[in-house]
Amino acid sequence: MAVDAAPPVAKTPAAVSAALTETEVRVASNFRGARIVLYGAVFGPSDTPGDVVVIVRGPEQPVRIARKVRVAGLWLNSRPVVFHGAPGFYIAASTRPLDDIARFRTLRELNIGVDHLPIRAPAEQRVETRYGVRDVVVSSLGPDYLLWRQAVVRLKEKTGLYAADERGVRFVDRGLFRAEIALPAQAPTGTYEADIILFRNGEPISVKHRTLTVQKVGIERTLYLWAHQRPWAYGIVSMLAALLIGWGASFLFRRR
Amino acid sequence: MDIYLPIAEVSVNAPLIVALGALVGFISGLFGIGGGFLMTPLLVFFGIPPAVAVASMSTHVAASSMSSVQAYGRSGAVDWKMGGVLAAGGIVGAILGVEVFRWLRLLGQADLVVALSYLIFLGVIGGLMLTESLGSILRRRRGQPPPPRRDRRPPWLYGLPLKVRFPKSRLYISIIPALGLGVFVGLLSAVMGVGGGFILVPAMVYLLRMPARMVVGTSLFQIIITTALTGILQAGRNQTVDIVLAALLLVGGVLGAQYGARASTRFRAEELRALLALIVLVVGLRMGLGLFFRPEEPFVLMQGMAG
Repeated sequence: MAVDAAPPVAKTPAAVSAALTETEVRVASNFRGARIVLYGAVFGPSDTPGDVVVIVRGPEQPVRIARKVRVAGLWLNSRPVVFHGAPGFYIAASTRPLDDIARFRTLRELNIGVDHLPIRAPAEQRVETRYGVRDVVVSSLGPDYLLWRQAVVRLKEKTGLYAADERGVRFVDRGLFRAEIALPAQAPTGTYEADIILFRNGEPISVKHRTLTVQKVGIERTLYLWAHQRPWAYGIVSMLAALLIGWGASFLFRRR
Repeated sequence: MDIYLPIAEVSVNAPLIVALGALVGFISGLFGIGGGFLMTPLLVFFGIPPAVAVASMSTHVAASSMSSVQAYGRSGAVDWKMGGVLAAGGIVGAILGVEVFRWLRLLGQADLVVALSYLIFLGVIGGLMLTESLGSILRRRRGQPPPPRRDRRPPWLYGLPLKVRFPKSRLYISIIPALGLGVFVGLLSAVMGVGGGFILVPAMVYLLRMPARMVVGTSLFQIIITTALTGILQAGRNQTVDIVLAALLLVGGVLGAQYGARASTRFRAEELRALLALIVLVVGLRMGLGLFFRPEEPFVLMQGMAG
């Protein structure tokens, strides 16, 4: 009981709080990507604020990836492999490089950082008994499995959909931090999850969760929904419109 | 001024796409071709997903062919009956082609087939056209007479059954080669995102031996039917037709085509053909030669259709 009655100032655990300046990104015809600004604060008894990691994750999108293989002098695609668990967008912004903030194991457990995403190719995996050990997970991709995994991340990084920003979170004042997330134009629509994690001495001590929606609006949304819900009607109408434009254009120019 | 394409899900520079449409429109007006073979690779180069580029091009090609077919129709330069037979084949080819393309994408081999088709067809056609047109330019410079035209029609064309009379083209031939040609061009239109004029026109001249003045108008008629169907099928089956992209291209294309047609009167026919042959060859080699070099990036992400 005496422990509970201890003075609150000394025992209050450090906590993090954060808010997005925008919780809805609207994709209209002038959409060129967006910058999402996040502000947060670290409350705690000690003067050293610790490390802050901001993770923004887009909706999950399975990834199909193929490897270039040489067949009879030509570079062809191998059979594609489907990876599950890959978010359509992923950024890890932090105050310092993630490897300095926490140990490998902690990062892996929390899936923090592009190297620790829970991406796997279940269709290529099977469980078998090896060397008398049961339930060993083997991948038909063999020892190259890591190469495939890294390629998924590398190619996504190239398009700006995955990123690790080692200096993306900055303390602007004592305990007050700011992070800026760049959302490229090809970012998928859907619900995004933002996790703001406070680390101290390599351990996560406080987490805040925020959500963000990215959605098409206006004419973009109408056309997209139409093309996907009534594809045949969309196809016929757009073809008729195109033919009509072509037909009209020839009259327009004949009169001159 | 950037604009977000709802189906391609990328942001493009609108004036750039309109200018691209105008450039290809100018070339297509200049040479009397659809220009799909040039436009599709350019769109992919500017970051449009290949499946969307191929499908949206059919909308664009149909519209631009529509705008030029009337001029030919008014001057009686369209053999509707032959065009109908070609189009019947084209319909079968387009249906097959859209399904084949879908299946190739599932296998992850669509890129390969598209690259190989460009390399083979554009390489062969471009090479033949270049030799032929350079030959006639050289002969004219030296003051030699053009070689006698071989009017002998290939005998196998006449041994086939199902002969039909085509009064406008003054032909009495079997419809099998015309149907086969239509199927083949329909397939190409769906797989390569082209109208197929670059195959259709030489085949009609050298294989079917149609009169030269009927060829372009009739091929345009066939291309409208085939690409209109391809576009509807691509939208219905694959949801890859981006109407905003097609509209942007059309604005430029319609204008460009008019100026191209006017400019074409300033050049000699064989010089135009040599220039077109060069463009065709360069595009074919650019698309196909990548297959022979070690890629910088050994892995490739497949667009869409995941899972």
